[in-house]
Amino acid sequence: MAIPYEFAYEKPATLDLAIKLLGEHGKNARLLAGGTDLANQMKQGFRVPQLLIDIKGIHELEVIRMVANELHIGALVTFNDIRSSRLIREKANILHEAAGMVASTGVRNRATMVGNICSAVACMDSATPLLVHESVVHTLSANGEKKYPIQDWFIDNRKTAIQDDEIVTHVSIPIPEEKYAGAYQKMMRYSGEDLSQSNVSVLMLSDKQFRVAFGSVGPIPKRSPKIEKLLHSEGISKETIDKAKAMIETVIAPITDVRATKEYRMHMTKVMFERALNTAMERYKQPRVISY
Amino acid sequence: MDAYKYIGQPVVKVDGKEKVSGAALFTDDLEFGPDLLYAEVVEGPHAHAMINSINISDALKVPEVLAVVTGKDFPYNFGLYMNDRYIFAQDRVRFFGEQIAAVIARTPQAAIKGAQLVKVNYTPLPKVLSPLDAIKEDAEILHPDLKNYVHVPWFFPKADTNIAHHRKIRKGEVDKGFEEADYILEDTYEVPRYSHCAIEYHAAVAKYDHSGRLTVWASSQSPNTQRNLFAKALAPLGIRHNDIRVIAPHVGGGFGSKAGVTMEIMAAAIAIKVQGHPVKMIWNREREFYNTYQRLGVVAKLKIGVKKNGTITALKHDLYWDAGAYVEYAANVVNAVGLSAIGPYNIKNVSIDSYCIYTNLPPGGPYRGFGYSEFLFGLESHMSRIAKHLGIDDVEIRRKNMIREGDLTAYGAHMNPNGLLEAIDKVAKEIQWNTKIKSTDPDLAIGKGFALFWKAPAMPPNASSSCFLKFNEDASINLLVSGMDIGQGFLTVMAQIAAEVLSVPTSKIRTENPDTDRNPYEWQTVASHVTWSCGNAVKNAAIDARDQIFSLVARSKFLPVESLYLEDEKVKCRTQPTFELALKDFIINGIQMNDGTYRGGPVIGRGIFMPEFSSTNADPETSQGGHPNVHYTVGAAAVTLEIDKQTGKMKVLKVVEAIDVGKAINPDLVKGQIIGGLLQGISTVLYEEMKFDHRGKMLNPNFTDYKIPTALDIPEEIVPIIIEVPQPDGPFGARGMGEHPMIPVAPMIANAIDDALDIRIKSMPITAEKLCLEILKSNK
Repeated sequence: MAIPYEFAYEKPATLDLAIKLLGEHGKNARLLAGGTDLANQMKQGFRVPQLLIDIKGIHELEVIRMVANELHIGALVTFNDIRSSRLIREKANILHEAAGMVASTGVRNRATMVGNICSAVACMDSATPLLVHESVVHTLSANGEKKYPIQDWFIDNRKTAIQDDEIVTHVSIPIPEEKYAGAYQKMMRYSGEDLSQSNVSVLMLSDKQFRVAFGSVGPIPKRSPKIEKLLHSEGISKETIDKAKAMIETVIAPITDVRATKEYRMHMTKVMFERALNTAMERYKQPRVISY
Repeated sequence: MDAYKYIGQPVVKVDGKEKVSGAALFTDDLEFGPDLLYAEVVEGPHAHAMINSINISDALKVPEVLAVVTGKDFPYNFGLYMNDRYIFAQDRVRFFGEQIAAVIARTPQAAIKGAQLVKVNYTPLPKVLSPLDAIKEDAEILHPDLKNYVHVPWFFPKADTNIAHHRKIRKGEVDKGFEEADYILEDTYEVPRYSHCAIEYHAAVAKYDHSGRLTVWASSQSPNTQRNLFAKALAPLGIRHNDIRVIAPHVGGGFGSKAGVTMEIMAAAIAIKVQGHPVKMIWNREREFYNTYQRLGVVAKLKIGVKKNGTITALKHDLYWDAGAYVEYAANVVNAVGLSAIGPYNIKNVSIDSYCIYTNLPPGGPYRGFGYSEFLFGLESHMSRIAKHLGIDDVEIRRKNMIREGDLTAYGAHMNPNGLLEAIDKVAKEIQWNTKIKSTDPDLAIGKGFALFWKAPAMPPNASSSCFLKFNEDASINLLVSGMDIGQGFLTVMAQIAAEVLSVPTSKIRTENPDTDRNPYEWQTVASHVTWSCGNAVKNAAIDARDQIFSLVARSKFLPVESLYLEDEKVKCRTQPTFELALKDFIINGIQMNDGTYRGGPVIGRGIFMPEFSSTNADPETSQGGHPNVHYTVGAAAVTLEIDKQTGKMKVLKVVEAIDVGKAINPDLVKGQIIGGLLQGISTVLYEEMKFDHRGKMLNPNFTDYKIPTALDIPEEIVPIIIEVPQPDGPFGARGMGEHPMIPVAPMIANAIDDALDIRIKSMPITAEKLCLEILKSNK
């Protein structure tokens, strides 16, 4: 299907040029990286940018590297880049695991993780792994660099804290010094590519220290300090897990839509939370942080 | 014993290299030069409304828009079995998304822009979104003109109601049968609508040139039927059959959706308004869902009586079909099921009422299985429930009641030879029916399910096939048929049949998708009938060519015809072992005599096939007396299903399916059909689900939210079993099997769930969500 209107297209070679273009056109421009979300929106007329700024020529945005104890993932890193990165597999296995469940191989070849959190559709896969890692989103504009802690990034479904003149350059993921392990669970209607109807990330930092985040069960993904506190104060037992599962009812607000009913989403989130927790604990027992 | 050289062999597909190499062209690949125009349709945003006015003036102002057409331009109705459909909506729209107008422009963008500017004024009417609502006394009538629609003689529309057809079977004494029963099970089963989901969209390009020739290139299962319906609908414009040429490029999936005529007629009609220009119309994924055909939904009320020993005494099956806004094709689905809804069982006392009901949902139509998947869901669920109640084994109750050769069908004709018992036994053995499996994981339950199936081709009694077989100088062959290779391997099988008769290897036989100017008549590639019907035509054409060859050799070489045979592309003689004459030495240019003159000339075979024993003449009140179905193909299937009790997710650990194909002309292609059909069936049970809102608008016309399986969803083990009890009138004994693999899947899975969890699901689909919520309910 054709995009039924005309628009301008620029492909700047440097970040400075891209920022300049974005500064000039603001709201009327959209950044194009993977384009897997944007192209569909333009075809369907949900978005009608007058200018597309293709950032694929800005190679410094392709970075995956450790900077001190932080893992940096650039704006052009695709989900299949994540899948094939040994560094990410070792340092942030939850993100690696989630990346493998994003859409299909074809889409993962184009779609970027940063694009995923910039589109900020409630069902995105990368948010809960980044939340439990307390990641930071880095932007750049003519006014300089800015850092958004991930928990402040998501404002609403399809809405983030980013300003019209800002480009996300990368996300930094602090890597804990102590031993840790995590797991991602995604609710899907089949084994093929699907948008998550609920997802859970659990990061285990010690026998009593867990971070838990829920996605796709409300307008924005979120951590649950309440459940984390419960697991911390009462320790892991069948009883605590049951209590935590009951508590999920007060933490998330799933809806009924064309993909699933809220009842099934609620039930599945509880099941997935328990399974993610068990998997994280299994993995924690392994002699070193490995991935899956 | 098999003395065949090509029949029964896993010959590589004749179009395989073309498709694998990318040489194969599909409709949208064809180039039409700079004159090509694009058409975009304007769709109605109401399930039911009167059209008060259509204003096209703003659309016409868009640069590069050439014309806008509306229903007024084509006030004609058409249809395959009943003329209840219109090229563009006339005075009213009857489903959400129905085409009202089309904008024709030099670019797709201008056409889309123009379509957005067509203004239509409507008065909404009360809408009917379910078949049971549509037959209520005060229901809104969708087709006030029903009584005037032309239809085939075996349909019985009820004027001034929403019942477009009622197929009725009365056999034996049903009341008495139920009185004799020791146990009666009565329940209602619901099967919703489904979409075919062919990967290639519907596409048609039409050109009406200045000489009055209308050429249509279309992704189609039915080039001749399309030509016929175009000619009939456009006859008022002075267009005749021989003015129309339908060319069918490769097709990227059909499953019934590209049978008959849907959007192609718009392209054909529009072309007449922009004479000299080719016009392209290509559907998008959304329209594939809501404006082609959908599989019909059904509410089936089923009552079966049995003796304590499991013998069925009576069956009453009432089927209320949600056939949609137009039923020109769908009504025959309803008819086919009405004739066959006893399933593959021998039942003496039968009452069937199959109602074709108009609703304000997209038009129903043919879909692989043609209604049989739908009624078998209830019937085969019922059989297992009855067995469970009586404490009889699932397989045993089926063996006891199954139909055998010579038994009477519901309409009183004799059942054809078949290998149903062999299929049952082989499937039961392969699935290890009597061995229970238990998972070591407490979250997992494992169950097994069994189901039988049957299906007959549903077609007019005079549906026919034909073939031209042309030899070339080197004794290679061009085999001209008009069946479509829609991925099933039809062309390969036709080449094998000709090869067997003429001893010419399949690699020397070129057979391609048709062009109605070049290729002879075929009704349609539907009903799992082309291997049988067109296969017979090809065999007849090959025999015709062979007869010409033998006659020529006999009269020029003075050998008795009876002594001649073909081997390795040569004519040989049984009585003179040293005699041989290569086909290439005479097949075009004849045989030279001693005096220098020649005998013979190009050998051209001609073959036709029409089932001359078929008839729809029967008493409308009982359906007794005719012979509407040519034969049934039967089989059995079983599954081992693993269920995650926490999530409801199901995994097919093993699925076995045996089909009596008469003769597997190409066993690899038969296995391919079995595997593909099973997957499609599994998909309709576990994943696919059409959702409509209160306005009758489909909410998930996309693969984001209408799920068909990927490579990751394939069962762990699939075992296809071929049974071969020859079909007496089939080519080399073959009968059709293309649709059949998918039809037992739904009840088989429902039965496995019941076996594993003691939970009976009576509506499709059976998604993980539905099952999980049922499990939670049963735990309470």
